Amino acid sequence: MLIQVKKFGTTLSSRPMGKEAYAAFLPVLREIGKEEKVDIDFDGVIVMGPSWADEFLTPILRQYGDRVSLLNTKNPSVKATLELLIPPSPQASS
Amino acid sequence: MGEKLLTISEAAKMLGVSIDTLRRWDKKGTLASLRGSASGYRYYLEGDLLFFWNDLFKMAEDWVLKETGSEPHSDLYCQTNDVFQNRLIKLQNSLSCLTNLAVPFSLIVALIGEVGNNSFDHNLGSWRDIPGIFFGYNLEKKYIVLADRGQGILTTLKRVKPSLTTYAEAMQTAFTEVLSGRAPETRGNGLKFVKNIVIENQLKFFFESGDAKLSLEHGDTSLDIAEKIPLVHGCVAMLQF
Repeated sequence: MLIQVKKFGTTLSSRPMGKEAYAAFLPVLREIGKEEKVDIDFDGVIVMGPSWADEFLTPILRQYGDRVSLLNTKNPSVKATLELLIPPSPQASS
Repeated sequence: MGEKLLTISEAAKMLGVSIDTLRRWDKKGTLASLRGSASGYRYYLEGDLLFFWNDLFKMAEDWVLKETGSEPHSDLYCQTNDVFQNRLIKLQNSLSCLTNLAVPFSLIVALIGEVGNNSFDHNLGSWRDIPGIFFGYNLEKKYIVLADRGQGILTTLKRVKPSLTTYAEAMQTAFTEVLSGRAPETRGNGLKFVKNIVIENQLKFFFESGDAKLSLEHGDTSLDIAEKIPLVHGCVAMLQF
């Protein structure tokens, strides 16, 4: 499944908005197959902060873990947010 | 320099507000224009604008120092998070047009978003008196100010870390530990995000709550937290970029 984050907006800041985005998308997330890969594409996002991301991304990452790929993460705010929410694993940093 | 006469569109650009806002301020007397008698066009003395907008931080600080609060000027007041989000996008649009920024605008907007969101997330239903936040900026002088008359950082964090006794300890915790004042939720990344962005970029950040004052800037390796008096009722923050 491909999740295009820009479809939730291009300025993604508040917790209520992140929570609403997750709740609205939950029925779609339930369609993900047991071994299906989940691509999350940040192309087109102008600003993303950890409050929004914590409500939307954290539960997805928790549920689908290693099946998730994060694409087009070069936007500085996207990069900084992901670095905070997903600290490098001991394996990756060694 | 202060005697230079500016048109309304030049004045709007300098202050980072719309022409309609300036017209409204003129009508209310918040910021009076000079009218050319024949044309009726509004003009502004550059010195008046500098004086008006230079004191944004002082305005915000005064607001949180008062024992009893009152609503700030409507153009500087976001009563609800929805209003704040709209104005944040407006700030984003203005910043994206600036060509002389030393820091990517997306980082500035994300940082300011976190500070403002924190005010709403932690104080909804518990505001000291006035709900919402003070939010203003001066793009010419390159600074952004936010403030809230909420519970302040000590009361908020003491709920999840009862061992905290001073505002300085609470501030240290807020900017360094992942600990949320909204337990049992596990979040609490917002001010760590702010700290990381400031120390990694050409930014200066000031944050006051209670009797503690934090100054943080690019390259800092530890937090500079000092005592301040009088007491701030809630929080006030300023980002210089």
